[in-house]
Amino acid sequence: MKQLLTVSLSDFKMIFRDPSLRIFLFLPVMIFLVINVAVPWLMREFPVLEEYKIYLVVLVTIQMTQMFGFIYSIVLIEEKEQEVSKVYGVMPISRIQFTLFRMLIPAIITALITWLILIVQPFYSIPLGSSLLFSMVAALMVPPYVLAVAVMSKNKMEGMVWVKVINLAVVLPAAAFFVPKGFSWLFGILPTHWAFQGLYKLLLNESFAFEMVVATVLLGLFTTLLVRRFSKTHFA
Amino acid sequence: MIQVKNLSFTYPGAQAPTLKALSFEISEGEIFGFLGPSGAGKTTAQKILYKILHGFEGEISIKGKALTHWGKEYQEMIGVGFELPNHYLKLTAKENMALFAAFYPKEKLLRLEDLFEMVGLEAHINKKVEAFSKGMKMRLNFIRAIMHDPEIIFFDEPTAGLDPVNARKIRDHILALRAKGKTIFITTHNMTSADELCDRVAFIADGEILVTDSPATLKHQHGREAVKVELKSGQTEEFPLKELGQNVSFADFLRQGELLRINTLEATLEEVFIQLTGKSLKA
Ligand SMILES: Nc1ncnc2c1ncn2[C@@H]1O[C@H](COP(=O)(O)OP(=O)(O)OP(=O)(O)O)[C@@H](O)[C@H]1O
Ligand SMILES: [Mg+2]
Repeated sequence: MKQLLTVSLSDFKMIFRDPSLRIFLFLPVMIFLVINVAVPWLMREFPVLEEYKIYLVVLVTIQMTQMFGFIYSIVLIEEKEQEVSKVYGVMPISRIQFTLFRMLIPAIITALITWLILIVQPFYSIPLGSSLLFSMVAALMVPPYVLAVAVMSKNKMEGMVWVKVINLAVVLPAAAFFVPKGFSWLFGILPTHWAFQGLYKLLLNESFAFEMVVATVLLGLFTTLLVRRFSKTHFA
Repeated sequence: MIQVKNLSFTYPGAQAPTLKALSFEISEGEIFGFLGPSGAGKTTAQKILYKILHGFEGEISIKGKALTHWGKEYQEMIGVGFELPNHYLKLTAKENMALFAAFYPKEKLLRLEDLFEMVGLEAHINKKVEAFSKGMKMRLNFIRAIMHDPEIIFFDEPTAGLDPVNARKIRDHILALRAKGKTIFITTHNMTSADELCDRVAFIADGEILVTDSPATLKHQHGREAVKVELKSGQTEEFPLKELGQNVSFADFLRQGELLRINTLEATLEEVFIQLTGKSLKA
């Protein structure tokens, strides 16, 4: 526990001391403004958009999970580039446990800010418990995002490319809303599909339990596979 | 303390093995060295021993227990001085040390201030590592390796990139660690380091150990026991050490002119290395 706090504390020190990472901490503020100012303004100016409002809210909310996905990917790639990761490799720790624990603080913060945005968005009123549950599942996206980018990239340049690829994979299932019903399951392999569908139902106060279960199982599976791979490559 | 038998290793995807059936033993409280040119496999062998490379062939046992059977207690018992500086550049030297100190049992940790003072970095303790020179970073590597008072210590080129004064200091610290009973495994391509520090040294080239012995024995076996006498006139001659005092031609030669210098013809470790491996240390 003490180790986790020490490591997370130095992770955050480094993030704050790196201008190119620090800037991303403002992403939630931007999302906040978009959902509370920009989207309401759009609705007033262009009433035809009303029927797309729910999709905008879904899409913007999911973006919350991208902040730490990006930041932590870069932190891990940098530590591998500078070979500091090897030092963890000779510490008395279980690598898998250590990696998962290290994702805990960013995942908790992601859950909290996602919850916050669902509470303050002005369009739908959702029970606090339901929105917290959704936020916790959404935050489970952070570890597989980070680990996928870190496993694929040898350096920061490659990291940037993979961040874009993963971002696309995160957003892509939104297309499921606009394809004929019979095809939307094609996106089901991507965990975010179930997050999108779940959030959609949540906003309409429908039952979203099934989507949350599938999302959790898929994200758990991706995380398990990736953390094994990561623990073999990152520390050597 | 450490027994290695027929250790072979091939990097995933590589054609040929990097290590070929290495066998050696390191006793408790000794400084053991790998001396060999660049690319010989020194770092690879150490990485296997400190368990960041897996998938080797052969047997390795530490304190009588197979390396693969050791758990976290092993990492608590060892210290690793990496070949290249590896620190978080955006953190200060002290923050870097404190971060990794958190992984070790508190009662084993040495005082940070003492460690920094040991290597003359006390004035830079709160500086970000990005403002450090290579030599300063290497000294930070050194104290990170020993901060938890480990029993077994690996130093991969511990004096590489250091100026002579700091290299001297680090060598003295390594000797002091041996005096405290630590078991130390160093790698180097510097014959002076090997000669001065190692109780026993293994010559390694192309992933193979060619000979293992004490530096003194190696030099003795492969050097010539003779002196070379040089006069100011430029005349030189060699005389065997054996019964030099009774050697009449030696005394005659000395009387022939003004003496410039007398050298013993003991081989350097590097000369022995070249004789045995046919390779230079500066590959
Ligand atoms: N990660 C790797 N993948 C593939 N081959 C490697 C890897 N690391 C090292 N090698 C190869 O293994 C051989 C031994 O390398 P190693 O780093 O162990 O040598 P060394 O004796 O420590 O050399 P130096 O004195 O330059 O540090 C070299 O031929 C090197 O190219
Ligand atoms: Mg090396």
